[in-house]
Amino acid sequence: MVAHVLRLRLALHRGAFRGGRRHAVWQGLAGIVALAAVVAAAWALLSLASAEVDVAQTVIVLAGSAVTLAFAVASLAAGTEDPLDPRRFAPLGLPVGPLTRALTLAAFITVPALMLAVAAIAFVITWAAHDVSPVLGALAALAGLVTSVLLAKICEALSALVLRQRRSRELLGLFVIAIIVVVVPVGVFLASLEWGGRVPPELQGAVDGLAFTPFGAAWAIPGQVAAQSAGVWVSAAVAAVTLAALWFGWRALVRRLLTTIERPDAGRSRSGLGWFGVAPGTPFGAVAARSLIYWWRDGRYLVNIVIIPIAGAVVMVPLLVAGVPATVVALVPVPLMALFLGWLPHNDVAYDSTAIWMHIASGTSGIADRLGRLVPITLLAVPLIAITAPIAIAYNGSWALLPALFGASGCLYLTGLGLSSVFSAVAPYPTARPGDGPFQQPQSTVARGVLVPAVVLIGAIVLSLPALWWGWLTIDVDPGFTHLALWGGLAIGLGALALGVVAGGTLFERLGLEIMEFAEAS
Amino acid sequence: MNVDASAHRPADPGAAAPAKPKPTPAKPKPSPAKPGAKRPAPRASTARPKPAASGASASAVSAKPAATAATATPRPTAKSTGAKSADAKSTAAKSTAAKSTAAKSTAAKSTAAKSAAAKSTAAKTTAAKSAAAKRAAAKGTAVTGAAAKPKAMSTTTSKAAAVKRAAAASAGADGAEAVGVTAAEAMDAMDATLEPSTSSPIIATSAHDAAHDAAHDSAAQSNAAATPSAGDTTSATLSDASAAVEAEPVEAETVEAETAPTSEPEADAEPEPEPEPEPEPEPEVEAAPAPEPEPTPAADPERPAALTLRGVAKAFGDTKAVAGVDLEVPAGSFYGIVGPNGAGKTTTLSIIAGLLRPDAGTVLVRGIDALAEPEQAKRLMGILPDRLRTFDRLTGRQLLYSFGVLRGMKPAVVESRTEDLARAFDLSDSLHRMVADFSVGMKKKLLLAGAMIHSPRLLVLDEPFESVDPTSSAVILEILGTYVAHGGTVVLSSHGMELVERVCSRVAVIVSGRVLAEGTLDEVRGELTLEERFVELSGGLSDVEGLEWLHTFSD
Repeated sequence: MVAHVLRLRLALHRGAFRGGRRHAVWQGLAGIVALAAVVAAAWALLSLASAEVDVAQTVIVLAGSAVTLAFAVASLAAGTEDPLDPRRFAPLGLPVGPLTRALTLAAFITVPALMLAVAAIAFVITWAAHDVSPVLGALAALAGLVTSVLLAKICEALSALVLRQRRSRELLGLFVIAIIVVVVPVGVFLASLEWGGRVPPELQGAVDGLAFTPFGAAWAIPGQVAAQSAGVWVSAAVAAVTLAALWFGWRALVRRLLTTIERPDAGRSRSGLGWFGVAPGTPFGAVAARSLIYWWRDGRYLVNIVIIPIAGAVVMVPLLVAGVPATVVALVPVPLMALFLGWLPHNDVAYDSTAIWMHIASGTSGIADRLGRLVPITLLAVPLIAITAPIAIAYNGSWALLPALFGASGCLYLTGLGLSSVFSAVAPYPTARPGDGPFQQPQSTVARGVLVPAVVLIGAIVLSLPALWWGWLTIDVDPGFTHLALWGGLAIGLGALALGVVAGGTLFERLGLEIMEFAEAS
Repeated sequence: MNVDASAHRPADPGAAAPAKPKPTPAKPKPSPAKPGAKRPAPRASTARPKPAASGASASAVSAKPAATAATATPRPTAKSTGAKSADAKSTAAKSTAAKSTAAKSTAAKSTAAKSAAAKSTAAKTTAAKSAAAKRAAAKGTAVTGAAAKPKAMSTTTSKAAAVKRAAAASAGADGAEAVGVTAAEAMDAMDATLEPSTSSPIIATSAHDAAHDAAHDSAAQSNAAATPSAGDTTSATLSDASAAVEAEPVEAETVEAETAPTSEPEADAEPEPEPEPEPEPEPEVEAAPAPEPEPTPAADPERPAALTLRGVAKAFGDTKAVAGVDLEVPAGSFYGIVGPNGAGKTTTLSIIAGLLRPDAGTVLVRGIDALAEPEQAKRLMGILPDRLRTFDRLTGRQLLYSFGVLRGMKPAVVESRTEDLARAFDLSDSLHRMVADFSVGMKKKLLLAGAMIHSPRLLVLDEPFESVDPTSSAVILEILGTYVAHGGTVVLSSHGMELVERVCSRVAVIVSGRVLAEGTLDEVRGELTLEERFVELSGGLSDVEGLEWLHTFSD
């Protein structure tokens, strides 16, 4: 049976080149790119043979962990359909054990696994140059390889099991955003470090920690042996336990996939629903999806979005001109952008105009409405802050400020959201109507139109003063305040958000008719 | 008795006239076999003095025999003109012209008005009376005679109703007329019942009438008990009877059928209220007193009215958009609200839908106060508002999905219902397009589908057929018709009178924020078409003079 499955796998590879010349050409190019990447990785690894042990260890552990993690996440995010999905063997009535072994073996003949195998060989050679027994190195490399492959298989099966119905472009976009949020700060951080042939001290702790995680344990073993650190036993144990857990988990998953069938409505695709297919099937999900579609398509919202980064960047100019040191100026745009992002939805209800009747006539819960309207701005704000904060800190130089910066920005953003939730229900003011250009001024201007934005902006600043104060302390007095700034700021922000959403929801339900009157009048 | 006559000779005043000098001949016309022909005649004569005493009712007493009708005819004509105009004015003043018979009955509150009304229907009455007489003769049962006196009023009423029913049953084409006739008949009969002695033998003559009496007695008597004044009772019973008759021609037939063999028990059963016609007459009962702003009596507890508006008022600044509207929409009815532009229809419907806060009044949706418990009330309703935006940037499918999920439905259910609705409304090809790209009619259809997707009990539709092509209108009407037939209620506003006439079972005419006419379709339109009635109620055609310059063609 194993031979059959392997032959099947090879046939599938051959089949990847079918489908027309253009398709074959693209596949060939992709193959060449993969080959080039592998060669580059192997060359980089081999160049580490001449570096110091801790430098090599750092790089290898970081890279290995990232690769293993990527094997898991890519399968989940991209939702690539595993050609040898165990469910496809269900009608054949094969025994679970042999099938599992066959599928696992076949998994090593895939392109990513082969690339990793080549890199693993370079890995072994590198550590051999550092006087680590090649056998040990090979065992570690094998452990790492098997861990990665099993992780990939399991994630593919899980994604097919759980996420098939919701697979869509929007879901992919969400995953990409999540990946960006995590990867970019780390990348910026790493890029900002000064290596100069030594391992920056910040990384030492990270590497030591990663060596004990399932992702990096196997890759860390040879390095720990070379450095004769005692952690090697822990890493070995973690690697072994991870392997065993993954193997048994994979077996159980295969058994489940062979003995159960898909949900009956899996055939009904949620096609045509776009964001509505990804969002949960609750009133909150419907409001969130509708808001998302409008934020990305309606010019009136886009203008607000575009202005934010511009405002953030522009603010720096006068400060620089005034002579404020660049390191301090670098810290200004991020909280400012966070503040404006939290302030943006303060008039969200007015943008709906009379279409709000759908929410009022159907008796939508106020909290669902408020939370749904916050989703698009959050999807924008979190990646934006996650990307710009490390960049700012990189300019600033003091990475200890990063948590404080996150705390202050988060507090400003969340308190702004909380106040916006309340005021958009209580005091909407006339704005550009649907279909108007984004810069169209409303027909009637009321005092509310000036007061409410000011109140929300100033209120957000006032509520975030503690977090700002702690951030200032971190800069000026003692970097130890950074954690207080982070957690305290987030706590204040989340509290304000919760209060604002609840209050805004209640007010929305009570004042629904007044909102309707306002919508019809404006 | 009268019913038979009217059945055979619908609205034939000429026939009635000759019957006048000779009461007897009137009877033999429809059914020579009727032995009781004699009885109606004496009753007619007796009835004669009574109407004279009470006024118009006397003429109407002719409900018994055609002779009565005949005699009544000249009399009503005598004083009809003056009283009629007066009555008409009072009716107009009261703005309760919704039902012709109701109007007449209202007028009948005052004796003079009564007579006027009676006179106005004299012509019809005559024929109806002859028909009734014939019927009575045909049945020829004296059973009712015993109970005549106490049930005189009710019997009269029921007879009138019976007359109507028989007329409706036997002469479908003349249904409306017969109904109107019988309405008048009933009123006359009502007056006639004041003379129990005379009425009893006549009543007894026809088991058929007795049957109707029994059927209507309950309603009549309950009505009579309900309304304080005799006149009111009369009119109420009259309208009730007429309404009941209008509503149940079939029932009349069945009642007739069973009346024949069991005249005895009928007579005894007359005073007991019969629950059978209870549900039907109830809404009409409420419709009857509509002219007076009294709180409508509680509807049948088994089926609370789908919608009740009491004293709803809304003013925008100085303009009174809605000024004291009282409506009662019974469950399972197809209710149309018509009115000229700016009459307050959309405002009223917005108030019902919970999109506008009224300055005063209450809105009850199946007994739930919509202003105190809006969530429960909204759950029962599906709403199609007019000239409100929607989320245009969504596709049709996404919009329908929103409609469903915002109501708390499961996504899978919403999707399957979306498919069904798209198929029904012929939107399957367009669902993938943005709603902003839809034509107006398609948008209406989509919003209507969205209003229905959670299968509510009550549909409140504001101009659902505006800009919708005839094919789609037909489809929508079919869907709504089936929905109503299965117990749903539809309240819609429209300018298309033919459409409203075709489908609506009840109509309310709103002009300048007030309900000028309300009731079943036949009651509201009376003799005219709905369009004519509507134009008449909304003040007639405006002055189209003074536009001579339009014909001068300045080129």
